[in-house]
Amino acid sequence: MNPSDRTIVHMDLDSFFVSVERLLDRRLEGRPILIGGTSGRGVVASCSYEARAFGVHSAMPMQLARQLCPEAVVIRGNSASYSAQSQKVTEIIREAAPLFEKSSIDEFYLDFSGMERFFGAYRYATELRQRIRRETGLPISFGLSINKTVSKVATGEAKPNNQMKVDRGFERGFLAPLPVQRLPMVGQQTYKSLSELGVRKIQTLQEMPVDLVERVLGKNGRSLWEKARGEDRSPVVPFHERKSISTERTFDRDTIDVHRLRGLLTAMTENLAYQLRRGNRLTACITVKLRYSDFDTRSLQERIPYTAADHELIPKALSLFERLYQRRLLVRLIGIRFSELVGGGHQMDLFTADQERLELYKAMDQMRNRYGDRAVIRASGLEARTIGRSNPFNGDPPPLLANRRQ
Amino acid sequence: MKFIVSSGSLLKQLQLAGSVIQSNNALPILDNFLFQLAEGKLRITASDLENVLTTTLDVESDSEGEACVPARILLDTLKTFPEQPLTFVFQGEAGVEIASDYGKYSVNSFSASDFPRVAALEDASLTRMPAHVLFSAIQKTLFATGNDDLRPVMSGVFFQLSAEGSTFVATDAHKLVRYRRMDVQSDQTAEFILPKKPLNILKSVLPLAEDELELHYNNLNARFSFGGFSLTCRLIDGRYPNYEAVIPRENPNQLRIGRSEFLGSVRRVSLFSNKTTHQVRLRMAGSEMQVSAEDPDFANKAHERLHCDYAGTDLEIGFNSRFLTEMLSNLETETVRMEFSQANRAGLLTPEGSLEEGEEVLMLVMPVLINQG
Repeated sequence: MNPSDRTIVHMDLDSFFVSVERLLDRRLEGRPILIGGTSGRGVVASCSYEARAFGVHSAMPMQLARQLCPEAVVIRGNSASYSAQSQKVTEIIREAAPLFEKSSIDEFYLDFSGMERFFGAYRYATELRQRIRRETGLPISFGLSINKTVSKVATGEAKPNNQMKVDRGFERGFLAPLPVQRLPMVGQQTYKSLSELGVRKIQTLQEMPVDLVERVLGKNGRSLWEKARGEDRSPVVPFHERKSISTERTFDRDTIDVHRLRGLLTAMTENLAYQLRRGNRLTACITVKLRYSDFDTRSLQERIPYTAADHELIPKALSLFERLYQRRLLVRLIGIRFSELVGGGHQMDLFTADQERLELYKAMDQMRNRYGDRAVIRASGLEARTIGRSNPFNGDPPPLLANRRQ
Repeated sequence: MKFIVSSGSLLKQLQLAGSVIQSNNALPILDNFLFQLAEGKLRITASDLENVLTTTLDVESDSEGEACVPARILLDTLKTFPEQPLTFVFQGEAGVEIASDYGKYSVNSFSASDFPRVAALEDASLTRMPAHVLFSAIQKTLFATGNDDLRPVMSGVFFQLSAEGSTFVATDAHKLVRYRRMDVQSDQTAEFILPKKPLNILKSVLPLAEDELELHYNNLNARFSFGGFSLTCRLIDGRYPNYEAVIPRENPNQLRIGRSEFLGSVRRVSLFSNKTTHQVRLRMAGSEMQVSAEDPDFANKAHERLHCDYAGTDLEIGFNSRFLTEMLSNLETETVRMEFSQANRAGLLTPEGSLEEGEEVLMLVMPVLINQG
């Protein structure tokens, strides 16, 4: 198929977390709302349009946001109810779209290519949007065009609670007058490099020679340049395999309490190992990450034989931590990641008597499946109160936590 | 020193000896064959310091002497010749000249005194066994050896010789094979672990051997010899794990099944399993075994039903299909037996019938943990 014959719709739930909170509590309607970490180091994960009027935006430190908008309602957020609502929307889209990609908890790409012949794709998308609003009560916007990039930008332009179609062949003209930050690939760093070149509008980027863009931005330059010109051949991918699972914790107050750090690491490893077993996965690579109070961030990883057993993972995590924690400095963040995941169960060994331990994990996992994943935990990890609890292996993108960065 | 030899039979012996030579040697002299000529016989020796292989062939000559000849170039050249007589003339410092029907070739040669000598086996014990017995022992066990550098003893085959019989064991901690020969006895009781490399060489050369071979061994080395062939190898140092202790004694769940049907099913179904872990699930109930696998990442799924004789409680157990296919294809009988105690204990696999007198094969395979579905 010719790439310009495709029809791609990008759907995005407007200020999703806020909308869900408003569903749960109608009194929040029309008021400025901040959702995110409420402690000293929390950042804004989502904020209502009313709050945005005060200059608040997501990823802003919560304390700053509260200063800018003192009358805002601050909510800690509950990822379980967000996931549940997101799931509802996903089900509606699954029913309606022949091919779709859930790219984050509140964003979807739908491939309507070839449907023009039977229905107007724009009309169909409009009806779908109305259906989602009617059935879930959540405001949602969409953009429609020939590819993912242009549709996403169009959604951004349409928001809040609206829709937009970019006609075939007008992609370049549509993007030209917009500021470069609207392009999905342009983050802080790229924006800085482009600003230094004097590039503000997408049009300037469109007219630049591609070699120059590549020289400034490296190998991503060409792809950004193509996207700026409204060219994007990336397909809609229905399932994203999880390549790794991880969890990390930033302390409210930096700590040097090694005992506590070890306990937290144990709890995090134990929880991730449970996630692995629940998803019937094994890991072959374990990484421990540490950030000191001066933001010096270090990580250390090691390859291991495929496993999902606590008694193999926890000692490995702790020994990596011992090797990593060399500076006598306060610690700001600690994290752990399992990568190189494969599907399968633990291969038992003839000569290590681990049957009983494996039986124990099985029993503990059953209790967790039934009563929640903190139903039974190692005492050394008791202090760690909140660590991720979603199922990482259902093909959904990881839920965004409070420290999301845009 | 000069001799005339058939190119084909020389190549055969050189290729055999060449299997010992490593690709990157610490000692450059080990890139050579040692040629020793005496009384119309050419002895060819190759070594990697741990293994020394010597083979002999008849040549036409009335001189004697010894020299080292570069292995790679000699092998590569000989491979290109059709069968024909070759003349080797050693000219001391000037190297060796080879004359074929097509022309003449010269290569450097080195003094034989630089080549490391085979250490004599001190206080060696001797056991004789039929070549075909050792061959089947290697064939039955070698595949089950491990590759884990952290467990070097498992990278070899464990030999146990005694007056009651001989036992050969290999395991990689996930699967295990115990091959017993009650008909091959030894005066002394001895145990040693033989590394993989010499076993692979023996596997290729033993079919050529007739009758008995001699096995000399002490606690460091072992030497296998027959006819003009001898292979001396260093043993693996270490204690072999107590494998008898991990063979489950009480196995109330008993399965009898056609080997090729079972193997075919596992092979087919495993194509649908995860490409890294190769896990399949067996479910036994009544007179039926179900073999299934799935790989959710690619939405692959397979499920088969097989007829079998099963006596025991309903059981669901997971295995790495690689282990099952390796083990099943290593057996020859029409029917095999499997025995289980529980889903998290080792399963036993044994052939049923048509083994040689005094021969006994037992295989063990450790399951993988599966989520009860």
